[in-house]
Amino acid sequence: MSQPIKCSLCEEAATVHLSQVVHGNVTKVHLCEACAQKGGATDPAVFQLADALTSASPAPTLTCPKCGFTDIDFRKRGRLGCPSCWETFGDVLNGLLLKVQHEAAHVGRVPAGTLPSGQLRRRLDDARREMEKAIAGEDYEAAARLRDEIVGLEKQLTTL
Amino acid sequence: MSSVEDILAAENELTHLLGAQQAVVLSTRIRLARNLDGSPFPGWAKVPQRKEIADRCVEALEALPKFRRGHVLRMGELGDRDRSVLVERHLVSKELASGKSGAAVISRDQTCSVMVNEEDHLRIQVVKAGWHLRGTWHIAEQLDDALGGSLKLAFSDRLGYLTACPTNVGTGLRASAMVHLPGLCLAGHMDKVSRALNQDGLAVRGWLGEGTEAAGNVFQISNQQTLGLSEEAILKHLGGWIKTVVEQEWNARRKLAQEEGEKFVDRLARSLGLLRSARLLTSSEAMNMLSHLRLACDMGCLPEERRHLVDRLMIEGQPAHVQARAGQELDSDGRDRRRAAVVREALKDFPEVVPPTA
Repeated sequence: MSQPIKCSLCEEAATVHLSQVVHGNVTKVHLCEACAQKGGATDPAVFQLADALTSASPAPTLTCPKCGFTDIDFRKRGRLGCPSCWETFGDVLNGLLLKVQHEAAHVGRVPAGTLPSGQLRRRLDDARREMEKAIAGEDYEAAARLRDEIVGLEKQLTTL
Repeated sequence: MSSVEDILAAENELTHLLGAQQAVVLSTRIRLARNLDGSPFPGWAKVPQRKEIADRCVEALEALPKFRRGHVLRMGELGDRDRSVLVERHLVSKELASGKSGAAVISRDQTCSVMVNEEDHLRIQVVKAGWHLRGTWHIAEQLDDALGGSLKLAFSDRLGYLTACPTNVGTGLRASAMVHLPGLCLAGHMDKVSRALNQDGLAVRGWLGEGTEAAGNVFQISNQQTLGLSEEAILKHLGGWIKTVVEQEWNARRKLAQEEGEKFVDRLARSLGLLRSARLLTSSEAMNMLSHLRLACDMGCLPEERRHLVDRLMIEGQPAHVQARAGQELDSDGRDRRRAAVVREALKDFPEVVPPTA
């Protein structure tokens, strides 16, 4: 007979076996009865903890210069350290954002007093494309409307 | 008088029919996650930093006209029961209540509350009784603008409002409706509805939010995506689905009333009878029976103007509320006894249940 599987949190024999599938990645956690009850077998933290324990814990490869938060911290917590972390971990986060949010760029409100230059520029690109399409489809009314919008956007951008 | 006692005693939006109250949708809620530029997020900040952040946020909030004569509550200064009361009222989250360095700034009418040092520095919340997505959003928008005027918020041109968790970045907006769906539950359609909502990017949760059961057939439906969609698009998407869910709920109720006939009325009448006679009432039993009374009010089996009383009992029948009203800690039996007494008293002059008119 094979060795009984040990609990991921202590050394007891595991009797509770959990699998979590997130975007096709399977994480398995084995717990003894005591740890399962204590941690609450459905607590996502159990998976994070087990993940941190089972994966080889290498030295951090990225550290936020502003707050000292590392990529290892992010793997453990699933939360960031400070607003600057968004820049520090930009590449890692971009992939994650596409998975959890299906998008990687903001198109909503901006704080009072902030000039939304990035959004204006993106809208300008879209409007130009839409106008070309409208012309190709001979929808001149729509094209005229878009031309007016483009003129307006260009003016706004030059006055920023 | 402590501030939490004040909150319990005050007439307010959700328990006293101050807002327009409706069938099916109990309340509409908007939440915006915001952070201070240049400060570590609460989960990573050191204790003195968290204190400094809380002081800065509370000072800015207190200066806003919306919070004049409101409440400022620091979690570290409140007892367990008071914090539980706030959670049961949805004024603060369990997460905020379980820490010491959080604070809540609550408007006089309890429609606006801002949590400080939860997962993010600021969580602006606005709640209205009934279904008022636009009105609720406009209040939140104004608060956000006012706050952005006095505090520099963490914002990136590309990613929008920066939050501690990637699931909130962008708009930081969580819009939700608290819906009462006894028809869909009784008809056994709730799994199907949940699945459809999940597939289209909406989350379905129980009465007290994340990880809670749907006591009393009450569910919270909210958007999941916060990035790559404008606030307008998020609200429109949620609004469209809530309209569909409300229609489906009415269809299920009418079908049930028609097919079951006397049995349908009997079920509602029994619940009223039980609530009026019980000497010991657990919180989940109370919720489930009160759900039947709310259904009866919606369907014309009980007078509609009694509905707000049912809503109030749903909120005030929760464990911490029962103890706060009693002014003492009670064990489980004591709470059930006290809850039964409160419910009996409130329902003693309720008329009898009659066949539906709706």
